Amino acid sequence: MHMADALLAPAVAGAMYVASGTAAGVSLHRLKKEDEPQKLPLMAVSAALVFAGQMINYTIPGTGSSGHMCGGMLLSALLGPEAGFLSMIVILAIQCLFFADGGLMALGANIWNMAFYGCFVGYYLIWRPIIRGKWFGDGKGALRGRIIAASILGCVLTLQLGAFSVVLETSLSGITELPFGGFVALMQPIHLAIGLVEGLITSAVLCFVFETRPELIKDVKEADASLTARTSLGTTLAVLAAVTLLVGGGLSLLASSNPDGLEWALFGNEEEGYGANMGLDEEEFGVASDVADKAGSIQEKTSFLPDYAFPGSEDPAGTSVSGIVGAAIVAGAAVVICLIGGFFRKKKTKTA
Amino acid sequence: MNKMEKALAELGTMDELSARKSSIHSLHAGAKLLVTVAYIVIVMSFHKYDLSGLIPMLLWPVLLFQISGIPVRTCFYKLRIVLPLVMAVGLFNPFFDREIILRVGSLSVSGGVISMLTLMLKGVLCLMASFLLVATTPFDRICAALRAVHFPKTLVTLLLLTYRYVGVLTRELAVMTEAYHLRAPGQKGIHISAWGSFLGQLLLRSMDRAQEIYAAMLLRGYDREFRYAAERRFAMKDVAYTLIGVSLFLLLRFVNVSGLLGSLFVR
Amino acid sequence: MIEFKKVSFAYETGKEVIRDLSFTIRGGEAVGLIGANGAGKSTVMKLLLGLLFGEGEIISAGLRLDKANLPLIRRKTGFILQDSDDQMFMPTVYDDMMFAPLNYGMTKEEAERRVDEVLERLELQALKHSYNHKLSGGEKKMAAIATILAMEPETILMDEPTAALDPYNRRLIIRRINGLSQTKLIASHDLDMILDTCERVILLSEGRIAADGKAEEVLRDKALLEANHLELPLSLSRR
Repeated sequence: MHMADALLAPAVAGAMYVASGTAAGVSLHRLKKEDEPQKLPLMAVSAALVFAGQMINYTIPGTGSSGHMCGGMLLSALLGPEAGFLSMIVILAIQCLFFADGGLMALGANIWNMAFYGCFVGYYLIWRPIIRGKWFGDGKGALRGRIIAASILGCVLTLQLGAFSVVLETSLSGITELPFGGFVALMQPIHLAIGLVEGLITSAVLCFVFETRPELIKDVKEADASLTARTSLGTTLAVLAAVTLLVGGGLSLLASSNPDGLEWALFGNEEEGYGANMGLDEEEFGVASDVADKAGSIQEKTSFLPDYAFPGSEDPAGTSVSGIVGAAIVAGAAVVICLIGGFFRKKKTKTA
Repeated sequence: MNKMEKALAELGTMDELSARKSSIHSLHAGAKLLVTVAYIVIVMSFHKYDLSGLIPMLLWPVLLFQISGIPVRTCFYKLRIVLPLVMAVGLFNPFFDREIILRVGSLSVSGGVISMLTLMLKGVLCLMASFLLVATTPFDRICAALRAVHFPKTLVTLLLLTYRYVGVLTRELAVMTEAYHLRAPGQKGIHISAWGSFLGQLLLRSMDRAQEIYAAMLLRGYDREFRYAAERRFAMKDVAYTLIGVSLFLLLRFVNVSGLLGSLFVR
Repeated sequence: MIEFKKVSFAYETGKEVIRDLSFTIRGGEAVGLIGANGAGKSTVMKLLLGLLFGEGEIISAGLRLDKANLPLIRRKTGFILQDSDDQMFMPTVYDDMMFAPLNYGMTKEEAERRVDEVLERLELQALKHSYNHKLSGGEKKMAAIATILAMEPETILMDEPTAALDPYNRRLIIRRINGLSQTKLIASHDLDMILDTCERVILLSEGRIAADGKAEEVLRDKALLEANHLELPLSLSRR
């Protein structure tokens, strides 16, 4: 789901930076009240672990493909939402800088889409209410059940939110001509599958930790201690409703918005390509955003920073024959720079 | 080579490039950061049909590649991650936007084609810019520059520490993956029976490792303030670099150099 | 100077690891700390550094170990961890070496001078700006020692300094250890290394002292060593 710089308008990228920056500021502030210094190495090591863990291929039984983990839910279940969020920021920043996975200016949007939902929404709306709630009754088995349920629901919900945001951001940027509805219909179901797999992986890891070192998982102690805790049935119901709404919405959009002909064919093919790229198969689980981007066309009518050249206006692309000639000259200049550079380097190695 | 080993190799290449010496490498990390951000923002802001205006922006990264001696090949290797995504989005444009906006002789080009090409070029340019930043600046200096502009201390420290342990843990996972596949030949990925324990084992070990690291920090005087040798001060050349870069980008953004150059020869 | 006076320590689970332990190490002495796995070697070190707190009195760097003295004691004590990756938490060797001096209030110039001095002494100048994750095992251990020496400690504690090193690097580390004039406490299963670096050996068994004496003598006692899951050092068994 990593977005590239090219897919965003500066205003959208800036707005997402502000949103993510605010969430980061709040997290930092809250973390200061906790025992922050001791937590730093823990966060760093966990972030590094998730970074590496994202590269593991998990075979999905019954299919030839493999799934991946993104880690937002896992980190917030281990470190809490604030520390988890900051760790995710760092992971995304390193991926962006060293692996070109997501753009530097798109980082704000990527943090929002992948870290904010996974950590804050996933934790406060799903993880905590469920773990401290009363599902499946009392005892260790029930608690494990709640961990599994919370992991899966959390991953599904947060990936749906993330996918929807990708569509929204690209559309607002006016980059693609793809209709908004079609884009949504493309993104949501794919991420339903991805979310399910991610949820299963996350729950497997958390259950393992729960068996061996339960004290490492957030809210487990509270769940154990608070047999007298308030029933959070209301919250749980709210969570369930939210998930149903999102999933249902995504599915119905898919069902209803499929026109015939070219568009459908394109979507269909693209969907496959997407699925393959996006974590249902080997390599590049980060590729999801392309597809997302397509959907984004509330069109350039709403585009930020409209430019001087519009279709229909005179000399629209700023192009014309003179434009082409000029571009060729620029390209020539680039070649010359390269030649000069090469010449000097050769000279240097000779003299050296 | 499994995926983790590839990632390690990629990380190693970046470290190696950033440790080289050139006049670009020697610039202040903050200046490079600022110019990179300005470059990307301006590239992003070009209108989707403004292909001819965008093309001259190519000159800047080309110039930097040449001066710094960073191989372009390494950068283009990373395109495999950026391009598919950008292309998937861009490829729809020719189908949805068929209005003809450019005619060259008998050839007519639709807006969709132009906007697709613009999008791809933007993808390449943004990648080159951020790649050049990291390839010419050691990571600890980028962090020091962030700290100098009052980026939150905790986040910068976390960035430094994580960067350090990404290498360590990726290596451990690479070895574990190797060991797993040696005992499970023919399996493409991790079998469902080991989904939890595979990463879980390493997770538990890593939690203990975190405690050791904390001890190591405490024993060397860590007191909530993370001190490391800061970047040198901003020098004249850094100011010059920043000013030249930013004003050049602004110029290219508002003046269509391709068009101007072309009109010297045509008409 | 290090002194343990009737020190006991038990983990939360109730398992007692150190029982009524008393010993004294004079300034400048080099002492090997040996014993089977779980005999309490690491615990002794952690107690000395105030990473764990037990009962009884501990004197470290000439100071009584308590909360008030802890910062000063830690400043005067260098601890070389078994896993250098845990110890070297900064991106480069240089950053790591600067960490402690800067924390202890040195200016950048002073700290830099000290870093260069230590690197020269250990013949490690070439590694100054290397990335920690690119160092080989031997280089990493040498660099870890360098980060500790940059603190100019009075006492150096080492946990398995020669573990996982090839013979060449092991030799090199031994030579470097012998070149250090500080008080040294070295915990290890590598008895040949202990023999080469320490004049005195403390043998721990289930949290108590099973033997304390000249290295040559303790390490020659085959029965005692074998009772503690150890073996005669190669260099002594040949004779």
